[in-house]
Amino acid sequence: MLLEMKGIAVNYGKINAIRNISIAVPEGKIVTIIGGNGAGKTTTLRAMSGMIPIASGEILFEGKRIDHLPAHKIVAHGIAHVPEGRRIFKEMTVEENLRTGAFLRRDKDAVEEDLEGVFKRFPRLRERRTQRAQTMSGGEQQMLAIGRALMSKPRLLLMDEPSMGLAPVIVEEIAQIVEEINANGLSVVLVEQNAELALELANHAYVLETGNCAMEGPASELRGNEHVRAAYLGL
Amino acid sequence: MVELLAQTGLNAVYAASYISLVAVGLVLIFGVMGVVNFAHGELFMAGAYAVVALYADMHVPFFVAVAIGMAFVGLLGLLMEWALFRPLKDNPLGGLVASIGFLMILQSLAVMGFGVRMEHIPPVTQEVVRFTEKVGLPVARLYVIVAAVVFLSALWYFLKRTRFGWALRASAQDPEAAALQGISITQTARIAMFIGAALAGVAGALTAPLVSVNPHMGHSVIVTAFIVIIVGGVGSLEGAILASIAYAFVHTFVTTFWDGVLADIVGLSLMLIVLIVKPTGLFGSADRA
Repeated sequence: MLLEMKGIAVNYGKINAIRNISIAVPEGKIVTIIGGNGAGKTTTLRAMSGMIPIASGEILFEGKRIDHLPAHKIVAHGIAHVPEGRRIFKEMTVEENLRTGAFLRRDKDAVEEDLEGVFKRFPRLRERRTQRAQTMSGGEQQMLAIGRALMSKPRLLLMDEPSMGLAPVIVEEIAQIVEEINANGLSVVLVEQNAELALELANHAYVLETGNCAMEGPASELRGNEHVRAAYLGL
Repeated sequence: MVELLAQTGLNAVYAASYISLVAVGLVLIFGVMGVVNFAHGELFMAGAYAVVALYADMHVPFFVAVAIGMAFVGLLGLLMEWALFRPLKDNPLGGLVASIGFLMILQSLAVMGFGVRMEHIPPVTQEVVRFTEKVGLPVARLYVIVAAVVFLSALWYFLKRTRFGWALRASAQDPEAAALQGISITQTARIAMFIGAALAGVAGALTAPLVSVNPHMGHSVIVTAFIVIIVGGVGSLEGAILASIAYAFVHTFVTTFWDGVLADIVGLSLMLIVLIVKPTGLFGSADRA
């Protein structure tokens, strides 16, 4: 397993945001976490990248415990997080945003190559290279957020609601990008409200309900599950 | 008349130089750490006293004294970050109150070490760059102007062209997203605090021979700096520089042609007008930095 989350609980004050969540991400796969509003999807992802302290459980990445590390140290292990709402640096240019994603890297030549790679994957970003990030459309900002994450050369990409607030055409484009990135060998954890999209992309899925893991299994299986169909796919 | 205008213009450029050094440091600290450093005027004062101690009392060469003063005040900034702002990082108001406490400590230390009387500092140079018979720029003032141009250009280069500069701006815009890029917020806070404090320190050190050095000299400087950063737009470095220049010109001209008290009133009135017309300041946006 690339990443293993075992029995994680996170509390906000006295409220348990998530309880006893265990998630395994195999190398090279896409794992999705679906569920309704407030089910604990984002919390689970934030626990993985060290953005919130966990109350119990442990998280292993490539066999090493990372649950005690602050967020900026976890990046160095090879986990990149594309946060909910994109959170790009609005007052910085597109290129500055991307280079900031490579903040920890010392392999300068490889950084230039990867920057070229991101521009190749997202031609819109090359066109807007010197433009302030704020001036771009939502879809372009999402691409920038993904590009920025890729610049850290991660082994695992955590994506929080990449489809949020985007037009269906753009969502399709983003989905394609996720597939391509994964095909190049990068493992992905995808948190999505759009369960249909998520189950289509993912190999394995977890369903969270009010902070608990209600169900898990191969994505194709969950797509056929009565409860999932009724509650999340609207079928 | 033309000569008087030219001379007043030169005086204003000098005033703009040290005001912008102080104001930019204040904006940088606020941007990256989210705290208002009320002790910033006292950091300016500490830089001036470094020159009193080293240059006037111990006869260290002036520029060596200035360099040591700048580094010393930068270290004071690091001390503030470690002792005050880091423990209070989830409590910006607490940070502000703690910085007021630090201001009083620095003032008291200056009184204990040097007394309350104004310090006399022997002039560094009496030379004047003459443009015409009546228009001239004292070289001591020229030093301040050159320092402002050099240090602010260097800061601009650092912020726009270097990896740590981007890290600083990223931390100012979105600390959480910055951490997700591997940036240590503690480290960027330390860098911002060192640079911000050192800029106030060098401004104080270079102006020491030109002004009356006393333990309370930081007061008028911080008031001016606050006016400038509010007018420029809180969080905008460019705004702080441009507003420093604008304020210095207005203040110097009103002082020269009318009087100093009126100049203060005009300065504050301009701030109020800007706040009414554009509450985010001339160059501010709703987002920080």
